[in-house]
Amino acid sequence: MSPEERIKESLLKEFNYLEGSINIVRPRRMSIEVSLDNFMPVFAYLAKELELTHLCTITGLDEQERLGFIYHLTGESRVMVNLKTSVAKANPLIKTVTSYFPGAEIYERELEDLFGAKVEGLPQGNRYPLTDDWPVEQFPLRKDWKPALDTEQGVDKNA
Amino acid sequence: MHNSKDFKIPIGPQHPALKEPEGFSVALKGEKILGVDIRLGYNHRGIEKAAEERTYIQDIYLIERVCGICSHSHSTCFIQAVEEIAGLAVPRRALYIRTIIGELERIHSHLLWLGVAGHEIGFDTLLMYSWRDREVVMDILASITGNRVNYGMNTIGGVRRDISPEQSQEILIALDILEERTKYYIEIATQESTIIKRLSGVGVLSREDVLRLDAVGPTARASGVKRDVRADDPYAAYGELEFKVITDERCDVYGRTVVRVKELMESYKIIRQALKNLPDGPIAIKAPRKIPAGEALSRYEAPRGEDVHYVRANGTEKPERVKIRAPTLANIQAVKHMLRDRYLADMPIVIAAIDPCFSCTDRRIALKEQESATGKIISWPALHAYSLEWYKKQGIDFTALNKKLRAKGLTE
Amino acid sequence: MSLIKKIITWARIKSPWILHFNTGACNACDIEIIAALTPRYDLERFGVVLKGTPRHADVLVCSGPVTKQIEDRLCRIYEQMPEPKFVVAVGACACSGGVVRGCYNVASGIDKVIPVAAYIPGCPASPKAIIDGVVKLLASLEEKEEVKKDRR
Repeated sequence: MSPEERIKESLLKEFNYLEGSINIVRPRRMSIEVSLDNFMPVFAYLAKELELTHLCTITGLDEQERLGFIYHLTGESRVMVNLKTSVAKANPLIKTVTSYFPGAEIYERELEDLFGAKVEGLPQGNRYPLTDDWPVEQFPLRKDWKPALDTEQGVDKNA
Repeated sequence: MHNSKDFKIPIGPQHPALKEPEGFSVALKGEKILGVDIRLGYNHRGIEKAAEERTYIQDIYLIERVCGICSHSHSTCFIQAVEEIAGLAVPRRALYIRTIIGELERIHSHLLWLGVAGHEIGFDTLLMYSWRDREVVMDILASITGNRVNYGMNTIGGVRRDISPEQSQEILIALDILEERTKYYIEIATQESTIIKRLSGVGVLSREDVLRLDAVGPTARASGVKRDVRADDPYAAYGELEFKVITDERCDVYGRTVVRVKELMESYKIIRQALKNLPDGPIAIKAPRKIPAGEALSRYEAPRGEDVHYVRANGTEKPERVKIRAPTLANIQAVKHMLRDRYLADMPIVIAAIDPCFSCTDRRIALKEQESATGKIISWPALHAYSLEWYKKQGIDFTALNKKLRAKGLTE
Repeated sequence: MSLIKKIITWARIKSPWILHFNTGACNACDIEIIAALTPRYDLERFGVVLKGTPRHADVLVCSGPVTKQIEDRLCRIYEQMPEPKFVVAVGACACSGGVVRGCYNVASGIDKVIPVAAYIPGCPASPKAIIDGVVKLLASLEEKEEVKKDRR
C-alpha cells in the first residue's frame, strides 16, 4: 500500500464522514475537503497521529461568498496533504493552529490582513504584512478589491 | 511574541510620533536578550495580487523578482505548479538545464552568504574573497542566460535557452576554479580558531526546536534535521541525480556555515553530473496559453530553504490564485527562539545565519531595557559596530585574519 | 582612457560618501550595488565610500519602489542628510516602479517621495551601470561647479 493510501485508509477509519472527500492526485499529493466544524479534529489527527509535522503554509482563497483556506501539511511520509476548509465571508471566523505549529502565526496574520479572516486564538502581536494605518475593511486579496490608482500615473494613490 | 510576563516596557519619550516602525523590538536585561519581536512587511509589493492580473507568461517575469537572490527558485517553483495543472510533460533536457541553473544559483547565493556572514563578524576580507569568487558564477550565468541576475530561463513547458557544448566546457572550468577556492574556505572555517570561537555556541537551535518551530533549509540541516526538498519531494532532474543531503550536528551558526560550504561542494558535483548526463532532445514543448481549471502545490529547495508555491488555474490565460511562501518566512519563529537569552552582540550574525533578505538589515532596532524601563532606537550599522566592539572585548578580533587574507592577495 | 581621466579628476575634487538604502526591493539591485564596491568593480577606487549614517552621506543610493512601510523612513533619511545632497535611483523599481508599478502598497518610484538626481535603469542594474550612473552624476555636478565658477 502506498503512503498516500495508508493515510487515506487511516483517515477514513477515524472519520467516516470524509468518504468521498479524499483525493489522491498523484504520488506525494493528496487533497482533502472538510467542513469548518470538522476541521480541527481532522487537522489534529493529521498533525499528531499521522505525524504530518511540517506545515508549509496556509493558502487563502476568495471563493465568492466564502473564504477558502488550504493547510499544506507534510512529514516523514513525504506526502503533501492539502487540507481545505472554508467559511462564509459574512462571518469569517476560524481557529488558530498555532498550538500545533507556532510558525503558523505569520501565515494566519496574513489571512487576516489580506482576506479579512478572523483567527480566534491568535496572541497579541504585530499584523503582517500591511501597515498599522491600512484602512479598515480593505482586504487586498479579495477579488472585488482594487488599489486606488492615480489615473494619469497608474500608481497606487494611497501608498 | 515573548511572554508578556517577561517584560512590559512602555513606549518611551524617545520615539513619540515617529511613524517609522521598528523591524526588531528587543527586550533587554543588561547585555542579554529576553525576547525579540520581528516586524516584517517592508518589501510587501502586492505580488500575489499582481499575479492574478497578469498572464502566466508575464507572471514568470514577475515572480522571478520576488527575490533577487533566488530568482530562478521562485520562477521554477511557480512554473512547476503551472505545468502540473496543465499536465505538461516537460522534456528531460529542460529539467536538467533548470537543475544546472538552480545549482549555479545555490552557489552564488551561498558565496554571497559567506561574504555577508564574514562582514557581520568583522571578517571583511572574506566578503571580498567570496564575492570575487561569486563573480565567476555570475559570469557563467550571464553567458548562458544573458543576465547576471533574473535569468529568464523558464517558460511554460521548458526552458528558453539551451546550453551548448562550449558553454558546458566553460561551466566545468569554472567549477574547477570554484572548487579549489571553496576548499580554501573549508580550510579557514575549520582551522582558524577566531572563526570557530566566534561562531560556536551562537544562535543555538536544538533538533527538537527545529522540529517544533518547523525551520527549513541550512538552518534546519545544521541541527541534524535531514530536510531537503530535492530529496524529500524530488523535482526537476533531482530524481535522477545522486547527491548528499548535508547535515551537521552542531546546531549553531558554525554548523550553518559548515553546511553551506559543504553544500557548495555538493553543488559542484551535481552540476558535473547533470552536464555529463544532459539528455538530448528539445528544451521545451508547446504549451497552451490558457491553463485548464485545476490546482497544484509546488516545492523547491532554494538556497535558503523550502520555497512553496500554490497555483489555482481557471481555464483562462491568468491564474485564479498564486500563493508564494518564501523560505525566510518559515524561519522567523526559529530566529526569535535563537536570540532568546543570548547576547545582543550575537544578533547580527544570528539573523544573518538564517540568510534572510538583505532588506532585513536596513531595519531599525528598538531596544527596551527591562529594569530601567527605558528604550532607544538604534540602526543596524550601530548594532553591527556594537557587536564587533563587544566581541573584541572578549578577545575575538578579526584584524589579524583580515591582514593575513589581504596579504595573500586577491588575484583575479 | 578619457573617462578614467575624468573620473580621476573629480575623484580629487570630490570623494562622495554614499548611503545605500533599500525601499522594499527584491534585493537584486542591492547585491549589485554592493558588488560594485567589491574589488572587481571597485567603486571605492573612485573615492566613493559607503557610510552607515545619513548625517555623513552626500549621495543616497536607493533601490526599490518605496513600499508604504518604508516611506516615512526614506523621508527621514533624506531630511537628515546635509546639503548638498543627491539621490540616485538604482534599478527599474526605483526609477518607475519597474515590475511592480501599479501594485498596491508601493509608491512606484523613489521620485514619488523625494527628489531624484540620477536614474540608473536595469532589472537589476548591473555594477557597471551603477558605476556609470554615479560617475555621470558626479561629472554633471562638476560641470555645474565649473559653470558657477565661470559666472563669477
